[in-house]
Amino acid sequence: MDAVIRAFFGYLLLVLVVRIVGRRPGKQLTPFEFVLIFFIGGLALTAIVGDERSFTDAVCQIVAVASAHYALSWARAKSSRVARLVDGTPLILLEHGRWRVKTLEQMRIADDDVMANARDRGLQSLREIETAVLERNGDISIIPAGRR
Amino acid sequence: MAKPSTKPVEDSVARVDHEVAVGEDLGFQRSWWRFERGAWLFFVVVILLDLAGAFGRGPLADAELSSHDKSVAVRYERIERTGTPSMLKIELGPKAIRDGAARLFVSDSIVGSLGARRIIPEPSSTEIGAGGLTYRFPASRPPASVSLELEPAGAGLFPFDIAVPGLAALHGKILVMP
Repeated sequence: MDAVIRAFFGYLLLVLVVRIVGRRPGKQLTPFEFVLIFFIGGLALTAIVGDERSFTDAVCQIVAVASAHYALSWARAKSSRVARLVDGTPLILLEHGRWRVKTLEQMRIADDDVMANARDRGLQSLREIETAVLERNGDISIIPAGRR
Repeated sequence: MAKPSTKPVEDSVARVDHEVAVGEDLGFQRSWWRFERGAWLFFVVVILLDLAGAFGRGPLADAELSSHDKSVAVRYERIERTGTPSMLKIELGPKAIRDGAARLFVSDSIVGSLGARRIIPEPSSTEIGAGGLTYRFPASRPPASVSLELEPAGAGLFPFDIAVPGLAALHGKILVMP
């Protein structure tokens, strides 16, 4: 029973820590983020598994983590409040030629990150952007100027 | 074949300037940022407490007990961690050694809850009773010391007693972190 409780709380702790560490822009994990995810995951694993290395423990812990994930996904789908807590909300980074300074600062995003996504859309400068939005999954959506 | 169930698409995502459907909630986000600042502060406090030894393995965790006549002194960690080895060292003064031997009583909690794995040196004999074990070690002259390797299996606050029979007993407590 102990192992299942450890797995359950380990999962919730990891979700919370990764949520606090923050969204970073980009469709793929950077090497920097790989280190974070694997290192935190590995450290959590040592505490969650402990000395109990039996197959029974592994099965129970996998089932516990899967159930916790399902429960969280279900709650997220049912409640917009839970969805906001788990994923955050989309955030406008730039609109009508003006940066949202506070949002950029809090989300630790630089103009280079926005421009990288603008280039991906074939835009050549920041002036060609009408609105840039940091999505919940960390992507930056670009709406080009003069689209309307 | 039954038709899939559908419903009309509504404009349910909030727009920016009545133009782009983004669904931004700055009010919530500001609250979250306040929570994040608190969380980062908490992380810093946890790191500082850990460095100081508030969760074991540091200056705050080191403890020492000694009898009035200095015949027995115990150095140990008052805060330990589950499944993590530590040493409890007992130093014996002149009064604790008699007739070429030192006798030492340790309460059951040291062997049970606190998980004594090893005793250095090996005692020549062990007696059970009085809620613990009494070890006998061949000894010549002081100072002499005996070390116990502890590895608690579970969290909790565990009192322990250590005594040289016939002299004052030492009482201590060890907090084992999960």
